[in-house]
Amino acid sequence: MHDGEDCNCVLTNGLIQYLDMRWLKVMLLRERLIRQGCSVITHSRLQSSGAGSAPNTSFVTPSPPPGPLQVNSCIQFWKQVFSQHKIPEPEASSEYIVAHVLGAKTIQSLENKQLSDPLTTSQMQYVWELCTRRLQRVPVQYVIGEWDFRHLTLKMKPPVFIPRPETEELVVLVEEDLLSREKAVISVGPLREITFLEVGCGSGAICLSLLHLLPRINAIAVDKSAEAINLTRENADRLGLSDRLNLLQMDILLDSQQLVRECGAVDFIISNPPYVFSEDMNELEPEILQYEDLQALDGGEHGLEVIQQILTIGRQILKKNGKIFLEVEPRHPAMLQMLISQGCYSGIVYKDTKRDFCERPRFCILQKTFEEV
Amino acid sequence: MMLSSVKSSFPMLLSRISQWDPSSFARPFLTLKPWPLCILVSGKKDSLNLVPLKEEELEEQFVRGHGPGGQATNKTSNCVVLKHLSSGIVVKCHQTRSVEINRKRAREIMQKKLDVFYNGENSEIWTRKREAERMKQEKKKKAKDILEKKKQFKESLAACPQENSETA
Repeated sequence: MHDGEDCNCVLTNGLIQYLDMRWLKVMLLRERLIRQGCSVITHSRLQSSGAGSAPNTSFVTPSPPPGPLQVNSCIQFWKQVFSQHKIPEPEASSEYIVAHVLGAKTIQSLENKQLSDPLTTSQMQYVWELCTRRLQRVPVQYVIGEWDFRHLTLKMKPPVFIPRPETEELVVLVEEDLLSREKAVISVGPLREITFLEVGCGSGAICLSLLHLLPRINAIAVDKSAEAINLTRENADRLGLSDRLNLLQMDILLDSQQLVRECGAVDFIISNPPYVFSEDMNELEPEILQYEDLQALDGGEHGLEVIQQILTIGRQILKKNGKIFLEVEPRHPAMLQMLISQGCYSGIVYKDTKRDFCERPRFCILQKTFEEV
Repeated sequence: MMLSSVKSSFPMLLSRISQWDPSSFARPFLTLKPWPLCILVSGKKDSLNLVPLKEEELEEQFVRGHGPGGQATNKTSNCVVLKHLSSGIVVKCHQTRSVEINRKRAREIMQKKLDVFYNGENSEIWTRKREAERMKQEKKKKAKDILEKKKQFKESLAACPQENSETA
């Protein structure tokens, strides 16, 4: 039984009950973690004390070995320290951090000769500072403050959701769909400009990836988090893609009609919405629970709350034959097909399920037909 | 000749395949794929084209954990391990922080390795190396010829003034 269910009797208004239930579940989850002895960071503490710092830590940062340290020795040193502290991915964490300090993205991109070079004093200090944050289970992407999504390097900042590798495949699906349409249309006449809506833009990975690849495409990106909107704006400015991007901060569960008014008609919708089942939230690793925005992950009881709202909005704002591309939890394709077959979203048909690189059903493609809603 | 060498190494291929990680999330393979005869028979290739890869002959492995993946996991290991089932060639790519780009690069490396594996001296790499070497030799020879002609011209100039002075 969920702790959150105890709160039902206290609340009376349906909407407030829904909202407070979600927040209460989040807060109770955090309380449970604290009781279990985990160091839990709330967002306000993150903002005031800087990214990745955790006040309630009880370990001591190891001293560096004496004398100048070579790059590969430094990597091995911290790999051992991470292993001893049961930090996941000890080798990868150490490699990414040291590479970042050296100005590279991966150790594999360095020359072999560079691996035996000694680190300077300031490089050593920086490595120690970053690795200490990793010892606190801060995700590597937040430690180094950036991560790559396909060909783009994006700034990462807690608590904004870190793009996952599966989502790169979602963008590939959309590209393939657009390119195949372009081939079909190109013989008829010049392509008109395409506009899409992204729901839950986070750091901007999806919308910026598409804007970067397709110079004639325009984007409307929505997120309920101010931090996410700010980070997407910052990444868009850095990449010179702001002119074709319209950012809206709103909660599509509450402000859907406002979104419909602001959006106009769009050619397709793409989203990596919160899709984790609420009951699975407390199974997530500390890197996620302690540092990422849990509202970017929790999709409600069946992980479908935001997804269902996207389908509802899609009926109103999609142009004829416009598609919806979603990243979902592996159980969702079957659930969505059932909901649609039961007539829950008339005007929307289920087109296809695609698997991710680990063969899990991960992507749903739906389409608005020309039937009357 | 290629076919017979393959047949003799059949048991070796099987043992290499059996070392494949059974707990991987890649598609499990149940049967050995038939030998791609089209690659063996094609022989010398157009120097601009490498043999295209067939996805059904490839198996990929990633580090993604045992849970539902996706949002529920935040792992940074983006290493892609690509295996060509027929030849047993394995390519590992960890060059970038993007899984998609690592997958693309792994396939490019696999294409080149397969070209060398199947075509040996006729492979793209060796053909281009030989071509580059041949052009280098040609350039050297041309430069040598020009030097020789210049030398002869100088010598003839040195001989000529005496004749010119006699006739004038």
